[in-house]
Amino acid sequence: MNLPIELKQIIAFTKRDFFSWTTYRTAVITQIINVFIGVFSWGVSATYVQKPVQEMYNSDYISFLVVGVAISNLILPLAQGIERQLNPWTLETVLMTGIKTPVFVIGNIMWTYIFSVITFVPYLFIGIYFFHAKLNVNISCTIVAFIISAAILVGLSMISTGLRVVTKATDPVTWALNVLENLLSGVSFPVIYLNTIFFPGFSTISWFLPQTWVYHLCRLAMLTNPSLLNWSTAQEFLKGSIFAIVLLPLGYRVLRWGINRSKREGTLGWY
Amino acid sequence: MTYAIETINLVKRYPTKARRGVRPTPGAHPGRRVDSFWGLFDVLLRRRGAFIEALRGVNLQIKEGEVFGLLGPNGAGKTTLIKILCTLVIHDEGQAYVHGYDVKKQPTEVLKNLQAILPESRGFDWRLTGRQNLNFYALLYGVRDREAKERIDYLLDFTGLKERADDGYQRYSTGMQRKLLLCRALLRNTSTLLFDEPTAGLDPTASAEFRGLLREKLARGEGKTVFISTHNLKEAEDICDRVAILNRGKILACDTPTNIQRLMFDQRILKISFISSGRDERREKILNSLKAITGVNNITLDIGQDGNFQTITIQGSEDMDISAILAVLVNSGLKIGVINTEEPTLENVFMHLTRQNT
Repeated sequence: MNLPIELKQIIAFTKRDFFSWTTYRTAVITQIINVFIGVFSWGVSATYVQKPVQEMYNSDYISFLVVGVAISNLILPLAQGIERQLNPWTLETVLMTGIKTPVFVIGNIMWTYIFSVITFVPYLFIGIYFFHAKLNVNISCTIVAFIISAAILVGLSMISTGLRVVTKATDPVTWALNVLENLLSGVSFPVIYLNTIFFPGFSTISWFLPQTWVYHLCRLAMLTNPSLLNWSTAQEFLKGSIFAIVLLPLGYRVLRWGINRSKREGTLGWY
Repeated sequence: MTYAIETINLVKRYPTKARRGVRPTPGAHPGRRVDSFWGLFDVLLRRRGAFIEALRGVNLQIKEGEVFGLLGPNGAGKTTLIKILCTLVIHDEGQAYVHGYDVKKQPTEVLKNLQAILPESRGFDWRLTGRQNLNFYALLYGVRDREAKERIDYLLDFTGLKERADDGYQRYSTGMQRKLLLCRALLRNTSTLLFDEPTAGLDPTASAEFRGLLREKLARGEGKTVFISTHNLKEAEDICDRVAILNRGKILACDTPTNIQRLMFDQRILKISFISSGRDERREKILNSLKAITGVNNITLDIGQDGNFQTITIQGSEDMDISAILAVLVNSGLKIGVINTEEPTLENVFMHLTRQNT
């Protein structure tokens, strides 16, 4: 067929991008699944809108949502910071300086984390003054919740980086956690609502996701003014800490493994 | 004796989908053993199938203060060898040492003694100035504040970048970017420097300047060991004390450029141009007569569009009988214009060796 040259050129670009996309096999599969789970998550969220959250946090929906959105803004850069910094030029060069792996990870995350802490305040300000969110904050609990959350997310971030160094695209573990976060971690509705939507006991799955604990501990600290001396509160914080204690060293080992594997396969400089 | 760089039977294999890849022996992947829980994890996730041997038993000893050139065509394994030495690639078999430190077991010590300049590994932030980028790396290298400032000033001056040090990196020309890479590599003041294609992409003036910097200032002036990989043979001939020719993962020759020319190619080249040869119907007879002369190994003809001899290049051993050659040509009625004898260049040796081993 005699197509105009401009059209042929557009087809050439499209074909190039398609073939490039298909080379990232994991990403192709995960992107397709993302579409379905994404729609499902939004559907569940939409059915929940404006219901009270008395059972878990003794609060109203808008306060629950404002804290959730602020926390997701805080944790997203931690999970994404290192991924964005990761490219063949910087990775090889930085590794040649001989710096330690945890320093490499924390160093790459730190600015994005500081920036998101700064933007955390406007989120709360707008939530309180424009949408009348009612926060009931315990400062010491909030600090502890942030520390546990940061440790969990640095661990996840290292796992993600370690796997990405090998797969060169989306890694299946982090992808699964991120996709399930929207549906199961209670970003925009309390996890116990899953028992109503699906079947009783379904929300138990949520408590095996590290992100659920990030949201849960921060909401406990900012909505219910708890005391760490209270045994039931302390128990919740201890459960969250277990995730941090497991994920930090695990993340470190996975990152080391990923880098070593790439060095063996000679693909460290690939992307 | 501790060498600046030493490799012993170094082998590196990469997994490949290519058909010409070598199949591993059943049940064993080269160079992989399960020696820990993480090793098991690794073996379970490993890629099975064919592999390509990038390095096949490389042995090198490079002395301190030496300028050493690694020559080889594309895909010879030069970059792999450099990346192994700077701990970015892990080899499968053999050993590699930098100032006595094992690159596999003591990477931190290796990196304190060696810096590599890889053309693709820029690692500079395009929005920062040259000086800001160097400050960042000085911190990563653990250089103290005061020392870092002095060192950066010195290096910017040393490489001629001082005037443009506070310009954004994105405004730098290719030559300036290469010089900034050199500054970064020299920040730690290590005794050994590796350069992968140091002058690739530079114009002739910038290349000559960079070569002068490597040989005169770094090697002669500061006594550093300089290891360069290149396929620019003139560059290697000009600045290297010794060179190794690497092809398809094997070292084919390793010596001074002069000795390689003499030892590996003990031949003379005789080039004869003709003023007027006339259409020679007896070409085959002349060629056969020349080939029969003692010491003649190879004859290359340059024939014009009219079918006449223009030049004839004869390669032969040192005892080649030149008078007999001239006698054959003169008796054939050919009028000789110019006679040149040439020593084989490094390029001749390189071509000869790499073609032999293809």
